[in-house]
Amino acid sequence: MTRSPSRSSPRSTELGLIVLTALITTAAYILAGFGTLASLPVDIGPFLVVILGLLVAAHLATRRLAPRSDRVLLPLAGLLNGIGYVFIARLDEGLAGLQATWTAVGVGAYIITLLVVRRTRGLERYRYTFMLAGVGLLLLPLVPVIGRNINGARIWVRVGPFSFQPGEPAKIALALFFASYLVEKRELLGKAARHLGPIALPRLRHLGPVLLAWGASLVVMMAERDLGSSLLFFTFFVVMLWVATERASYLAIGTLLFSAGAVVAWRAFDHVQVRVSMWLNPWQGIAQSVPQIAEATFAMAWGGIAGTGLGLGQPGRIPASETDFIFAAIGEELGLLGTTAILIAFILMVGSGLRIALRARNPFDKLLATGLTAIMGFQAFIIIGGVIRLVPLTGITLPFVSYGGSSLVANYVLLALLMRISDAVDEDDPAPDANEGRYPAAREFESPS
Amino acid sequence: MPESLLTLLKLLLLALLYLFFARVLYAVWSEVARSTTGPAQGGGSGAAVAAAAPAESGRKWKRHRTPDRLVVVAPPEQSGRLYMLGAEQTVGRSPGCQVALDDTYASQVHARIFQGGEGWFVEDLGSTNGTFLNDQKVTSPAPLTLGDRLKIGGTELEVSG
Repeated sequence: MTRSPSRSSPRSTELGLIVLTALITTAAYILAGFGTLASLPVDIGPFLVVILGLLVAAHLATRRLAPRSDRVLLPLAGLLNGIGYVFIARLDEGLAGLQATWTAVGVGAYIITLLVVRRTRGLERYRYTFMLAGVGLLLLPLVPVIGRNINGARIWVRVGPFSFQPGEPAKIALALFFASYLVEKRELLGKAARHLGPIALPRLRHLGPVLLAWGASLVVMMAERDLGSSLLFFTFFVVMLWVATERASYLAIGTLLFSAGAVVAWRAFDHVQVRVSMWLNPWQGIAQSVPQIAEATFAMAWGGIAGTGLGLGQPGRIPASETDFIFAAIGEELGLLGTTAILIAFILMVGSGLRIALRARNPFDKLLATGLTAIMGFQAFIIIGGVIRLVPLTGITLPFVSYGGSSLVANYVLLALLMRISDAVDEDDPAPDANEGRYPAAREFESPS
Repeated sequence: MPESLLTLLKLLLLALLYLFFARVLYAVWSEVARSTTGPAQGGGSGAAVAAAAPAESGRKWKRHRTPDRLVVVAPPEQSGRLYMLGAEQTVGRSPGCQVALDDTYASQVHARIFQGGEGWFVEDLGSTNGTFLNDQKVTSPAPLTLGDRLKIGGTELEVSG
């Protein structure tokens, strides 16, 4: 196939964007220093070294390991991570050091993922390993000795000095499982076995393992009281099913199931009722010692169009301002313009992810890219929507922005997988699999039609 | 530092942020523009376009309504690979076939797909394992319509547009 010769290399565009990212982050860091201390931040030197070092390391690794991959994803992620870091450093210096370490680990995980996963198709074979890993990771916090209850949600695991949220890597493992499983079964799932009015239902047994994995994850998350992740899993599962089968009836079924589940959860669980009443009437929350949403709303109102200025507001008043409510902190100090920038960054990332999915030649890649993008997009939607009172608040992290090691590392791995898929998009010849002659026989078993 | 200066710097920072997005949008735009205005595929040449251009696979999502290509559906390892249909082509395991399948269950020259009258037809060329159109064995030239499933050896192809 022919290409226009005037095409600029994706990597040089990426480098230009990364330089801009570093510039923005550094400027924001210095401004925050002036705002809080009225002087240049003392650690500006190390900060510059770390931020430039990490961004350039990620860029060089991409240049070498995935040269044809998407050019805007990495700078966008870097920008979100950088802005998040500036706010975390401004809110809590102790967390800033940790977040910098976690960012380094995240970039390391990004590079390792690119290094290990040379072709996403290779991952397809380990689908049941991924299913077991995903469900196992989700179950881990329920294990008595290592599981930890923090803020009413049992989603932490502590081993020695390290604690992490296994739910974060579990998302990726389950996306890999769903993608490989649905690619193989999409034909069967797309065929209707029964019709319920306009809704076509597939045979239950084809859906078995997926429903099992999904049901298990939902049950686990109800037991762990992690509503945000529960909602996230549900939405991305339904979206992947819909994309795989091209049947909108799955969306209808999903919405119905979700509405029923939401009503049941609201009736049955106290903590769900608290969330709903906080959502409908946040001012009452102040008296009931759940002032988060009210404080977030005050903060964003105080910020106005352009914000109070970095370091000049009081976002520390918002509970969990470094994690769940970081969006409100940004709203206070950078205003509507700043929060809109965060939204634009996510929209651009989701757009790039879906473009990768559209352009991917291999159905597994298509579906995986869709699933991973859906995870990132919905996660941002769920938490931002919760903070701005569009939906009830369910505490999950804002990808790349919030403080949190597990989330940061998992999101960098997710990013690396998307980059890997987009790199394969431009490959001219998908080499045939080594084990030829094996699949026709295997196929006879799989396709009863 | 006076507050008005800080405000000015803050606004500059926000401007820089939006400049960054403008740059990102420009990068995306120039990429999208390139892939949609890029040179067209040899649609009617009859050559097997085993490796589709990115724009080609992007367009696969139900926009054209006339069949002009075959898409591999199974085995999963090869699914998504596509062959543009020309006026006439042979399908088989032989590399000489325009639609060359990587399939041990297909005969060397397995079938023929040709244009006649309104559309395309498929004809079995005395293959060992037979050619199946929507699970019906093809004994005489059979017309192909959009969405038809063609099974040749262990490979299943969908007539697509």
